[in-house]
Amino acid sequence: MIFKQHFQTTRDKAIKFTIALVTAFIMFYPILVVYLGAFKSKGQINADPFGIPNPATLETMKEILGVSSSFWQMLFNSIVITGGTIAIVLILAMAAGVGLSRIQFKGRQAVFNYFIMGLLFPLTVAVLPLMLQLRTLGLTGTRLGVVMAQAAFSIPLSVFIFTGFFKEIPQELQDACDIDGGTLLTFFRHVIVPISTPVVSTVSILVFVQSWNQFLLPLLVLSDQAHYTIPLGVMQYQGQFASGWNQIMGFIAISLLPIGIFYFSMQKYVIEGLTSGAVKG
Amino acid sequence: MENIKTLYSVKKLGLILLLIGPAFALFTTFVVMPVFQGAYYSLFDWKGIGPLNDFVGVKNFVRLFGHEPFRTAIVNNLKVVLFSLLFQLPTAFFFALLIGRQKFPGAIVFRSFYFFPYVLTEIIAGVIWRFIYNPQFGFLTQLSGLIGPEKTEIAMLGNPETAFNAIFVVIFWKYIGFHMILYIAGLQGVPKDLEDAAVIDGASPLEVIWHVIIPSIRNTIMISVFLSVIGSFNVFDIVWAMGQGGPDHSTETLVTYLYNFGYKRFAFGYGSAVAIVIFFLCLVFNVLYQKYIVGDSRS
Repeated sequence: MIFKQHFQTTRDKAIKFTIALVTAFIMFYPILVVYLGAFKSKGQINADPFGIPNPATLETMKEILGVSSSFWQMLFNSIVITGGTIAIVLILAMAAGVGLSRIQFKGRQAVFNYFIMGLLFPLTVAVLPLMLQLRTLGLTGTRLGVVMAQAAFSIPLSVFIFTGFFKEIPQELQDACDIDGGTLLTFFRHVIVPISTPVVSTVSILVFVQSWNQFLLPLLVLSDQAHYTIPLGVMQYQGQFASGWNQIMGFIAISLLPIGIFYFSMQKYVIEGLTSGAVKG
Repeated sequence: MENIKTLYSVKKLGLILLLIGPAFALFTTFVVMPVFQGAYYSLFDWKGIGPLNDFVGVKNFVRLFGHEPFRTAIVNNLKVVLFSLLFQLPTAFFFALLIGRQKFPGAIVFRSFYFFPYVLTEIIAGVIWRFIYNPQFGFLTQLSGLIGPEKTEIAMLGNPETAFNAIFVVIFWKYIGFHMILYIAGLQGVPKDLEDAAVIDGASPLEVIWHVIIPSIRNTIMISVFLSVIGSFNVFDIVWAMGQGGPDHSTETLVTYLYNFGYKRFAFGYGSAVAIVIFFLCLVFNVLYQKYIVGDSRS
């Protein structure tokens, strides 16, 4: 009897494990296809699109990583735009979070609600007038324009996360600072900054993934190809080499590396960061 | 004394402005103002330049609903909502039950593989799947060669009948991991003794899921449904990468429609009307959801 039960649970486990394994393979298969395709010649990929490259060729990769390739410029643009967005969001949202959680003032809740209202507005709803706004400010066609707009749309969730986090700091700590003659700045430097690593990394990850993958906004704002980010570049590249799927796959294989490495090296933090807004909210 | 007090409050006001002001200004300029401007522009026939003087009232909205591709777009968005709720979220829940409980070997590794498509750039996901769906040598065409007597070209994306369903498969694949993670997080809060008690009482696994697990993660399910519906009304990148709303406007969604018929044609008034429709769909859903679903669970 015990044997039978033991056998059943082992069998159950084996079945479950197999299901998990097969689905994981299916989920990851499209990515695998990219890396197989990147090492094929044009003839190979058309004849055998999903098989193992035989023989593997580095030609496509060399071409894409070559000095004259547009890839480096796009990578640079993506880094500048994403980096700029993260920096602005962190500084502004963190400051606002401190203001909204550590200072008592009339209308504080109203200001907080005003920011939270932004969670109701997806980017798509505002995108046309936003373009006009950028034009008025002379920011159309510039990377700064993309940065400002992206940062603005990241403000609501970031302010929400920061305010919630800073609210949890005991008032006694702030009072102690006040008694010692410190200002809010001292409190900021000696209390808030040292304990903020988790919340700063959560917000950075959220903004990083959103900004790095953003397509609609740079598509609308940027006009000069020299300013194109990776998503725009991939879209443009696949239009240019409509027949050369090995080149498209090669380009994607390289483009995926930054976010892929980032994801798999810190997957625990990335997954927590990206779902924290929903889990806590 | 009075002076010190005033000085103190001026200092405090300055500090508040310094801390909150920049975020407030950025948010107001690029988020709040455009939304309200959009609502206003939607009442005009306007090309985005020159004076706003061609007031047309609700004519843009009347034109919208009379336009075939727009109706297709709404139906497609509702399809995404429906298919997500019927197929994607239950599958995500199944995966969460599979790997998110007890000690499942390699749970962390599986989790990261299921979640990876969510992190992937939408545009890149769309292009990869266009390769997989390629009619000349794509996956289905190859499969037809293996199963049938000879290879037949299967053009899922080229056929208006099948194109949107083919795109939904990609949406399914892309976002399922996100919902799975939400459910896994929710499952951590299911009281173990309640579950054990049900098992001792002779409940079958399905009964345990239905009567114990689902009620305990009700809040998680509500958030997951909420995000799924709002996201469904705003799909753009994947659809764009896979056919820009074509063939023959069969895969148009609200946002591709906004781009194709508003932005591309400099029809800022008309495009703004589309944006207002998206906003109202989300708002109405939000209000009804808060009132009937979320409100219900609280009472």
